[in-house]
Amino acid sequence: MELEVLGLTKKFGAVTAVSDVSFTAPAGKVTGLLGPNGSGKTTTLRAALGLVRPTVGSALIGGIPYQGLARPRRTVGALLEATGLHPGRRARDHLRVLAATAGLPDRRVDEVLDQVGLAEAARRTVRGFSLGMRQRLGLAAALLGEPGLLLLDEPANGLDPAGVAWLRGLLRELAGQGRCVVVASHGLAEVSQTADHVVILSGGRLRFAGPLLELGTSGGALESAFLKLTAAPT
Amino acid sequence: MVILRSEFRKLTTLRAPWLVLAAGPLIVVAGVTGLVESGGNVRNPAVQAQALAHAGLAAIITLLFGILAVAGEYRHGTITDTFLSVPARGRVIAAKLAVYGVVGAGAGLVSSAVALAITAAWWAAKGATLHLAAGDTWLTLAGGAAANLAFAVIGVGLGALIRNQVAAVAAGLAWIALIEGIAGQLLGPGLARLLPLHASEALDRTNILGAGRLLPQWGGAIALAGYAAAFAAVAAVTTLRRDVT
Repeated sequence: MELEVLGLTKKFGAVTAVSDVSFTAPAGKVTGLLGPNGSGKTTTLRAALGLVRPTVGSALIGGIPYQGLARPRRTVGALLEATGLHPGRRARDHLRVLAATAGLPDRRVDEVLDQVGLAEAARRTVRGFSLGMRQRLGLAAALLGEPGLLLLDEPANGLDPAGVAWLRGLLRELAGQGRCVVVASHGLAEVSQTADHVVILSGGRLRFAGPLLELGTSGGALESAFLKLTAAPT
Repeated sequence: MVILRSEFRKLTTLRAPWLVLAAGPLIVVAGVTGLVESGGNVRNPAVQAQALAHAGLAAIITLLFGILAVAGEYRHGTITDTFLSVPARGRVIAAKLAVYGVVGAGAGLVSSAVALAITAAWWAAKGATLHLAAGDTWLTLAGGAAANLAFAVIGVGLGALIRNQVAAVAAGLAWIALIEGIAGQLLGPGLARLLPLHASEALDRTNILGAGRLLPQWGGAIALAGYAAAFAAVAAVTTLRRDVT
C-alpha cells in the first residue's frame, strides 16, 4: 500500500494551497511530510483522504482514489488535527461508532484502547480528556482497522516525552510490518529520528522528496537542509 | 446495512439528542394544560380536537432534532470521521434521513400518545367525556405523528444545507415564528396554504396560524412530503462536492 501524489494542485478560490506536487511514500517506510505553516501538507493529506477535491491531479492509495476503496478504514488510518470528538460521547463509544461502519467487533475497540494506553479512561466522556488523551484516542481510531497506510498529521502533539518515545517505537514497528506510514510534522528533531524518507513542501510546492540520508548524515542535517529549501520565496 | 447501524449507534451513545426529543411531550402536556386552564370548553368537540392537535406542535422539536444530524457533526468536527468511514456521502445523508426519520416518527407517536393521555386526564378532571369514536380523533393524532416525522426529515436536510448548527436552528425557528407568516401574507391565501407550516397545520388538523384557507389533511401530507424530499435532495447534492476543511 503506497501513497502516490500525482501533479496535485488545489486552489481554494484565489489561494493556491498546493501547486503541482508529486511524490510517492513507499510501503514499509516512515515518510516525514515537512514544511512551514501553510505549505500545503494538510491539504495534501486531505486530498488523499477524499475530503477535498483536487483542482488538478490526484492522490492515490494503492493506485486508486479514496472514494474507490472498498473498505476505507481497513485500508487507511488517518489522524488529522481537525478530526473532532463529540464532548458528550465516551471514548470507547467514539471508537465503537467507527467500528460499526468498518464492520469491526467491539473486541477490536478494546484492543486499540489498550494499545494506546486509554483502557482505564475508556468509559469516560471525551469532555474531560487532556490534549494528550485526545491524541491517543485519535491514534486509536487510525489504528482500528489495522490499515496498510497511515496518514498522521502532528501525531506527537500533546504527548509527553514518554508518549513521544512510545509513538516513535510504534511507527517504526508499523513500518517494519510493511505498512506505509506518513507523518506530517513540524518536529524536525523527532522526524530525523523516526523517518526513512522525507518530503519537504514550501509555498504549496515540492522542494525535496527522497531518503532522509540524502540530506546529510550529521545531527543537524535535516534542519539545515529544511531551512535552506524552505527559505526562498517562490 | 452497516451505515444505518453506525448512524443509530451515534444516537445511542449520546444523551443530548434524547434530551431535545424529550421536550416534545413536555410541550404537549404544557399546551393542553394551558388550553384547559385558559378557559377552554371541554364539552366542545372543537376544543378536544385542538387539544389533541398539540401532538403536531411537538414537530418543532423534531425539526431541531433533525438539524443535529448533520449540522451537529459539523459543529463538533465529527463529520470528518463520518466521511472517512463512508466516502460515499450521498449514502451518509440517506442513512441519516432514514435513522432520524424513524426516531422522529417514534417521537411523534410518543407525543400523540401523550396528547391523548393528557387530554383524557383533563377531560376526566373536568367531568367531561372524551369522544374517541369521532374519526377526527385518530386522524388528528396520526397527522400529528406524521408531522413529527416530516419535520425530522426536513431538519436533516436543513442542517446538511446550512451546516452551521446555530444558523440552521435560527433559520428554522425564524421561519416558523415569523417568516412564513409574512410570506403567507405576501403570497395570498391560495398559495400560502402550500407553505410548510400551513401544510403541517393542515396535517395536524389545527389552525393556530388563523389562515384563511388550508389544504385538506392529505394535501398537507403530500406537501410536507414534497418539502422533505426537496430538502433531502438539495442537501445530498450540495454535500457531495463540498470540501471538508
